Order: sequence, then C-alpha cells, then structure tokens
Amino acid sequence: MNPIEVQNLRKSYGSFDAVADLSLSVAAGSVCGLLGPNGAGKSSTFKCLTGLARPTSGSISIAGGPPRAAMFADVAFVPERSALYENLTVGDHLTIARGSFPRYDERRANKMLDIFSLAEKKRVRKLSKGQRAVVGLAIAFAMRPTIMILDEPASGLDPIHQRAVLDLIIEAAANGAAVLFSSHNVGQVERAADRIAIVKNGRLVVDGDLDELREREKIVEAVFPAGPEERRFAADARVRTVEVIGNVLRLHTLRDTDALVAELERAGATSVTVQPQNLESLFFAAVEQPRPVTLEAD
Amino acid sequence: MGVSFTIDPRSGVPIYVQLVEQVKRSVAIGALGAGERLPTVKQLAVDLTVNPNTVARAYRDLEREGVIETSPGRGSFVSTDEPAARRAVADVSGASFEAAVREAKSIGLSRADVAAIVDRLLQRWYGTEASS
Repeated sequence: MNPIEVQNLRKSYGSFDAVADLSLSVAAGSVCGLLGPNGAGKSSTFKCLTGLARPTSGSISIAGGPPRAAMFADVAFVPERSALYENLTVGDHLTIARGSFPRYDERRANKMLDIFSLAEKKRVRKLSKGQRAVVGLAIAFAMRPTIMILDEPASGLDPIHQRAVLDLIIEAAANGAAVLFSSHNVGQVERAADRIAIVKNGRLVVDGDLDELREREKIVEAVFPAGPEERRFAADARVRTVEVIGNVLRLHTLRDTDALVAELERAGATSVTVQPQNLESLFFAAVEQPRPVTLEAD
Repeated sequence: MGVSFTIDPRSGVPIYVQLVEQVKRSVAIGALGAGERLPTVKQLAVDLTVNPNTVARAYRDLEREGVIETSPGRGSFVSTDEPAARRAVADVSGASFEAAVREAKSIGLSRADVAAIVDRLLQRWYGTEASS
C-alpha cells in the first residue's frame, strides 16, 4: 500500500460538497502536484488527510493507517498559513519542534534558516508572509518525514526561494519521501511533480503520470481547404475538444494522436501539424475554463 | 562532469524525452566521453530542478538503448561500446531530419521538392559529389 491512499473521499459542509468523490494515491519517492481552481477542494482534502476534518464518506490511509496523532512522526504537514505563536521567536518554534519529532535534525533546521536568510532570534509577529511560511517549511524538512503534505508551499516567497523549496521537495522525494503538494504555479508543478491530479468541483478531472500525459495529449491542427467537418470528431473518445477556425480543424487529442493524424490525412487534410501541450494548456482544458478575457477584449 | 543539460519544462515535450536527447547529443559531440561518469539521479534532479523519477526514467531508457551503463553501487557511465555511441549520433540527427521532413510534408511539399532541398543542402555542406 502506498504511503498516501485516498478512496472515494467525500467531505460535505451542510449541503455543499467541498470534496465530492476523490481518489488518489502517492507512492514513496513520488511527487504529486495537486492543481485546481480556488474552491476546488484541495485544502479540504488536505484537512481530511491530516485528521483536521472528518471525511463524510470514503477512506483514507496515510503512513499505513487512518489519520492519527502518532503518524506525525512521519508526516509533515505545512498548511497554507502555519499556526505560529506571535510572541515567540523563530528559534523558540524550532525548540518546540525538536522536542516533538523523533527524527528532528537540528543541522537541517539551521541550514533551512540559512537558505531562506531567516534569523533565529526574530519574533514571529515581525515576520513577513513568506518568512512565516519558511518557519513551517524549516520544521517540515528538518523532521525527515516519509510523507509530506504541503499546501501552497512556495506562496509568498520570491522566485529564488520558490526554486529552493522545489529543490528541497525534489531532494526529499529522491530520499524516498511521498510528497503531495498543491500550487497555483503551474510551472512549479511542471518541474517538481511526476504525477499530477487536477481537481474541479471536488472531483478529479485529471490524474496521472505527467510525462505520459504530455506524451499522449496533443494539439492537432488540420487544414481542409474545402472547409472542415467538425461533427466527425465531436463524439470521438480520443478527442477532448474540437474547434473550427476558418478552414482549420483544431483537435485536443487525449490519445492515439498518430492514428488521428492518419485519419485526417485520409479525409483530405492538406496539412496536419501536431504540437505538444504544456501543463498550463492541459490545465485549462481539464477544468474546462476558457482563458479569462482581458478588460479590453470584446 | 564537463557538460550541463538544459531542460525546458514548459515546452510540453516530456522531460525524460528532453533528457534522453540531451545526453545523446552530449555523447554524439563528445562532450561526454566513453566511460565518463554521469551524475546520480538525485544530483541531476536537484541540479535541473526536475522530478527524480523522471531522471531515473531517462537513465533507464538510455541504458536500454545502450548509451549508458549502470553498475549497482558505482553509478552510471557513458557506454564504452563504440557502436552505441554512433547510434546515439544517428538518433540525434535522425530526429531533426524527421521533424523537418514532417514539417515539409505538412505544408504541402512533394517528395521531389524535399529531395531537391536535401540535394541543395548536401551540396552546400558536403561539396559536389566529385570533390567529396
């Protein structure tokens, strides 16, 4: 069984399903990037995983059992906003952590403060948003966890320190940790993750190996001088979207791109081009949200 | 190691594919010599800020194709087998040719058009047949 296993998770608040039906698993040594628009259910999923909220239905296994207090020796959870003691110093927080986690490594904690240029004697109430995040991250990486759950771990940090967080995630995974992290920064997920899960309205709309998705899903543009037949691919399971722009047929393929190209050529396309898709375009297609218009667009 | 790889995670081309290509290219041009040690998966993942499983997958592919050899506990090395290195060279240019020919076909060039372009280029870079 994988370190993180979620099956058919549902979490309702009154009549609202924050998480409707979500299954996902993260293997040891793997990094799963959780993407989704605000309100898609990412934070609720994290809360259920860490025992901060009780699932309405479904099952969760983390570090070999249900969420429980004892698992926090192995599980590092960094919420979007860490709860910190305003009147204590950064160093005080590290002292508390040292007493709480059996594998806590003081050298690693100090190195974290170095990397992020944070002084131990600084009081929490004087910290910026990014520096507050660093306190939580310093403790998370110092405790040598086997499972990391990070909610927007790089938000509030400058690009240099965002990259440092990614490198730390990569190092943790290379050492065998299972990492689940959410981010609105698609570029970060694109680098650090080998798996992605895209959620929308509390359901997974994409779940899989990132390189395999990139390999499978393409944009195919076929030129039909006599005008394309749009309907032909409208109900095709191999195609996610069909668009007609003038005499160009534009398909977002889900699989079997080579076969589709051959079919388009047989159907009389004079030119067929295949373009790869990056995660950003996969994301927009998956959440079925057109790119937002600008203020001055018609 | 005397080479550095560049990965473009936003290009949409699978990262392991980009890595495989770059290692082959480095072997082809001699930037990575026969028997030279490659960085460990962890090292390269952190250096490039890419997922370690992705690097491991690229190394597995390179090993299967005979471009590198991995010995447990010692690390990964560029293959000392000459034909493997030559195949890497052929792969690298084969991929560029394929992209160019596919592009030419997609914009409607005939086989004869493409052959004429190739002839012109061969003449320019390799000289006329008599002098080559």
